[in-house]
Amino acid sequence: MRSLTISVLSMTTAVMLALAGCATPESERVVLYPVKDDPTISFRFWFKVGSQCDPSGKEGLAVLTAALLTDGATTNRSYEEILDALYPMAASYTANVDKEMTVISGRVHADNLDEYYPLFIDAILHPAFNEDDFRRIRTDMINAIEKSLRYANDEELGKAMLYDFVFEETPYGHLDIGTVTSLKAITLDDVRHFYKTWYTNDNVVIGLGGSYPAELLPRIEEDLSKLPVGAPKQPGIPAPKEIDGIELMIVEKDCDATAISFGYPISVLRGQEDFWPLLLFNSWLGEHRNSSSRLYQVIREARGMNYGDYSYIEHFADGGSRQMPAPNQARRQQIFEVWLRPVQHEHRHFALRAALREIQQVVDSGLTEEQFSLTKRFLSKYVLHYATTTSERLGYAIDSRFYGIKGDYLEVLRRRIDDLDLDDVNAAIRRHIQTRNLKIAVVTRDAEAFADSLVANAPSPMLYATPKPPEVLDEDKLIESYPLAIKREKIRIVPVGELFR
Amino acid sequence: MSAAPAAGGIFPYTTHTFTLGNGLKVIMIPMSSGGLMSYYSIVRTGSRDEFEAGKTGFAHFVEHMMFRGTKNFPAKIYDRMVTEMGADANAYTTDDYTAYHLTFAAEDLETVIKLESDRFQFLDYEEEAFQTEAGAVYGEYRKNRSNPWEVLFESLQQTAFTTHTYGHTTMGYEADIKAMPTLFEYSKEFFSRYYRPENVVLLLTGDFDVDDARELIERYYGSWEKGYVAPQIPSEPRQQQEKRVNVVYDGETLPLLVVGYKGAAFKPKDRRTVAGYLLEDLLFGETSALYKDLVLKRQLVQYISAGFDRNRDPGLWNVYAMVKKQGDVPLVLREIDKTVEHWQKTLVGKDELAKLKKRLRYQFLMNLDTPDKVAGRLARYVALTGGITAIDALYATIDAITPEDVRDAAQYWLVKNQRTVATLKGRK
Repeated sequence: MRSLTISVLSMTTAVMLALAGCATPESERVVLYPVKDDPTISFRFWFKVGSQCDPSGKEGLAVLTAALLTDGATTNRSYEEILDALYPMAASYTANVDKEMTVISGRVHADNLDEYYPLFIDAILHPAFNEDDFRRIRTDMINAIEKSLRYANDEELGKAMLYDFVFEETPYGHLDIGTVTSLKAITLDDVRHFYKTWYTNDNVVIGLGGSYPAELLPRIEEDLSKLPVGAPKQPGIPAPKEIDGIELMIVEKDCDATAISFGYPISVLRGQEDFWPLLLFNSWLGEHRNSSSRLYQVIREARGMNYGDYSYIEHFADGGSRQMPAPNQARRQQIFEVWLRPVQHEHRHFALRAALREIQQVVDSGLTEEQFSLTKRFLSKYVLHYATTTSERLGYAIDSRFYGIKGDYLEVLRRRIDDLDLDDVNAAIRRHIQTRNLKIAVVTRDAEAFADSLVANAPSPMLYATPKPPEVLDEDKLIESYPLAIKREKIRIVPVGELFR
Repeated sequence: MSAAPAAGGIFPYTTHTFTLGNGLKVIMIPMSSGGLMSYYSIVRTGSRDEFEAGKTGFAHFVEHMMFRGTKNFPAKIYDRMVTEMGADANAYTTDDYTAYHLTFAAEDLETVIKLESDRFQFLDYEEEAFQTEAGAVYGEYRKNRSNPWEVLFESLQQTAFTTHTYGHTTMGYEADIKAMPTLFEYSKEFFSRYYRPENVVLLLTGDFDVDDARELIERYYGSWEKGYVAPQIPSEPRQQQEKRVNVVYDGETLPLLVVGYKGAAFKPKDRRTVAGYLLEDLLFGETSALYKDLVLKRQLVQYISAGFDRNRDPGLWNVYAMVKKQGDVPLVLREIDKTVEHWQKTLVGKDELAKLKKRLRYQFLMNLDTPDKVAGRLARYVALTGGITAIDALYATIDAITPEDVRDAAQYWLVKNQRTVATLKGRK
């Protein structure tokens, strides 16, 4: 029955696409982004499985399984043979696992498609799951937690902690790569079982972009039909516990600077009515890596306290290295998040106060007409940078399928931004933004002293090494005593070595 | 204006080049890109040019100050105009150059030219803003210090170079960064010395009209005064023996190993130099025997690779490894040596060399799909040579490399008395 339904849909879409000049049909399980003059072909195969599907005690299984597909042997080729074959094409494929999505993606020059595609599909259809690859990848993942995340990148550590903290006791509430203990508990049989359950022909959406030939899609569909049938049952939408007041998790670490992230769950998803006004508000408050936003202006530009300060209404992966949001991080539950890049320890209390005060001020007063119209003009053009390559646009098209958005996302986004008015934005701010109930993750030294200072609402005067204009100093007086209602029992202090154990 | 059609060489786009009377060179590469374009201002000055004691880090610091406005467009107005354009605007500093880049809707080209020409000629900031920005720079340094690789590179470079300015990182020495707030006047001097038309190349890529762009650039940059004087960068004396440096990282990490060989200055037509670049992949890439042995079979290292960078002066050609156990660091170094010795004696197979050449070609071609990627990919070549003809020359030389050239390069460049071995271990 199912295949009949698909073929009917495909035929209908095929007619429409043929009229639009496209070469191949799109269907429920296919997302196409043809670009005739792009000399490359992009693949993104979306399997509806993510780290939320990790069995309890085996966290990290989704990532490990996907990594074994793309970074390990198949039953037809050793991993060395695969690397050798990909090498002259300067091509590769990779797996990205988020909470709800696993996307196996690759890109190749059209000249090399005939050599590349058999490798790509073989990785998905015939993983060998051999012991050597398993040991290597699992060790890398454990080292990534024990060494890199805990010790080599405090700001990513702070952000990872915040997600665990906000979503604790839900399927979102663990690192995608799991914990040291859970990784050690995973066996190859677990991997095989996970693969068999989730990597089915009914659980995959084919994404294809660039200058692919017409005959490629039917070939892919035929190849994927060799996967088992059946659509596994998806977990429910995560329901994080309601946050009561301001809760802190402070990680004690002998570090040079303090990393701070805070946030709370929001129910607004891409495509919903309140998403567009909140997106504009967020861009004004803290567009990622953009110096015109408010938090950046207050904390970095006027005071030189750190390298940058940003906010988010959708998960933003790899914020330390990426300038624009990565596609294929779609989720059914998001958080409003603020990321303050490391500040000197003696400025930590002030920085937190400054950020929360800014947010409360905009909740109380709303954006002004000028702020609104400037941000609107900015965002309407800036969103074009979100996806500039065929592969990224294909990724966004897949995300639109996830969220049920019709049409090219960036075009929809620009249209919706153009339609906004100030009242929409301020109403959305009042509905969704607040500073009373939230969770804060901090990586710092002398955690107890910081906790005491927070609970006591102790003044946190800013001392600058260099002169500052009077308006900054006047505002500092207000910030340094800005009250935060934090109770001692809401603060947890954790030594860094105990994180993600 | 000279137009070089894409023919024969590897670079697939037609380029248009012209130079203003004041020496400002402009390279324009029109390409289809959905109305977007990129605008790169490449200053051929980086941390390499910081030759005065106590003044390291100023190339990077001045990059920060370039966002602090002018009398015509004070910072707030500049920010507002860039914001209104929805431009993706940023800058970065490297050892050899500093690049300011914006990607934006092509309809805003005149505004961009107006703003960029203004700040490159008339940058003007107050001491207060300067001192505040020094705080942000120190914040950036602190942020980087939690990364053990950054800590290791600082020591590696300082050890490897006794005289040349590649001895300090682009961030600069910490003591110099701390002292930055006291050097307001020096920052202005640095700007005045290096931000001159003869030392800058504009690179435009994307959907724009070449004639309109030229007219605008002539109008807005024509009166920019010449005055660049190339700094005298001291040459590094030839290293006589291997150097070692062992660093303890104030945190926890897997042990790190870098073997830094003294490499070549970028000469795209020099076979020995270009064959040296090929060693990077051949000896240490994902399909090398060393990688397969250490990463896949014995699994002694989490990671091994090499970066034989293109530099203006002879820089370091580094082999990096993240080793799983401290006790295996000497063994990994021995394996690197064995690989080098092997390739100093053995000729690479013709098929293997052909595959490597094919790889390099596709690596280049697959990353030219957006205006920003094209300009970003070309920026270093433009900075090193002042133009982009070096790219076709480089790939033509690659095509001509023989197995004998590769063996010769291994013998010439990868020698022990020309290298620094740096290791880092965590506190625990």
